[in-house]
Amino acid sequence: MTDQDKKGFVPGLLKGMGTTARAMTRHAHTQEYPDVSPQLPPRSRGVIALEESNCTSCMLCARECPDWCIYIDSHKETVPPTTEGGRERKENVLDRFAIDFSLCMYCGICIEVCPFDALFWSPEFEYAETDIRDLLHEKDRLGQWMATVPAPPALDQGAPVDQPEPTESAPSEPQPAQAPDEDPAP
Amino acid sequence: MTTDLPLPRVGPAQVAAPKPMRLVLNWGRRYSLWVFNFGLACCAIEFIAASMARHDFIRLGVIPFAPGPRQADLMVVSGTVTDKMAPAIRRLYDQMPEPKYVISFGACSNSGGPYWDSYCVTKGVDQLIPVDVYVPGCPPRPEALLQGILTLQDRIASERPSHASLREKLGPYAGRRASAAEVSRPLVAPPEAGT
Repeated sequence: MTDQDKKGFVPGLLKGMGTTARAMTRHAHTQEYPDVSPQLPPRSRGVIALEESNCTSCMLCARECPDWCIYIDSHKETVPPTTEGGRERKENVLDRFAIDFSLCMYCGICIEVCPFDALFWSPEFEYAETDIRDLLHEKDRLGQWMATVPAPPALDQGAPVDQPEPTESAPSEPQPAQAPDEDPAP
Repeated sequence: MTTDLPLPRVGPAQVAAPKPMRLVLNWGRRYSLWVFNFGLACCAIEFIAASMARHDFIRLGVIPFAPGPRQADLMVVSGTVTDKMAPAIRRLYDQMPEPKYVISFGACSNSGGPYWDSYCVTKGVDQLIPVDVYVPGCPPRPEALLQGILTLQDRIASERPSHASLREKLGPYAGRRASAAEVSRPLVAPPEAGT
């Protein structure tokens, strides 16, 4: 460094001009965003999608949310017995599932904590709004994001694939092990 | 010694201007948004990333070289707005000439974000100034800011800046004349003598 300083003004200038000339011949690395969609990294945290049929309104996500930005309303419905002489069952019915994306800090705790795989990360980020009330996504809008959720990453080489179909009473693994081979590109 | 200078504002001929004229005016406003970055926290880094070569919002006509709020058209509030900072934001917004636009960038300036329960954080910058576009994220991607800018440009393209529409948008702050003394006084009032 000090040796270069001693070389004087003109060599430094020429070196700088050389760098400029080399940079001139290269393409700019600007990403033309509105025309070209960006190459997002895998597992990008853009928006949270809801698979409504998986949700049992157990409230775990709403409880664990550090911001308390998940709103869940549900009620119980009595299901008549399916067999003669059976017992009536109660099941939760989801009335409202809303995430306030103006509050959300995108930590992903709700997705990790969900025991029934009802919440997913989607890499979509284009939902800026002109009214802040539109940032509260109700369950239909959260459900629309499901189409943008990338496929789960492929299993490692040599990972055991469970051969028998698990019985209905003991769903040991909620995720089906059919690993798609394509890259989870957004 | 301060002098009251009138802030530039939208003239009455705006409403009467024929449609081609308004189109040209809106086109000019849309693609020369001199931006003023009110960077308060980590979201400001994403704003800077959006202004650098990779994302480069000068492509969209957003020019981040406004010398100050008096020369700016667009204010991007990025970061946690604290109650301590609130008077400064209000004041710098008052100094901007009309028509002026605000983008709220990130969860903190949208609604307080993770600090919505804090005693000292303003629950959203829209409590202080009217916001045109809210960009969600914590922090949002630079591309999300670009998309927010595009949303704002679509909004500008279709707007009709008259006194009535500005009053509708700005609420009680429309046509408010901030006197020179008001925007140049010290922020903290000196304590009363004897207390």
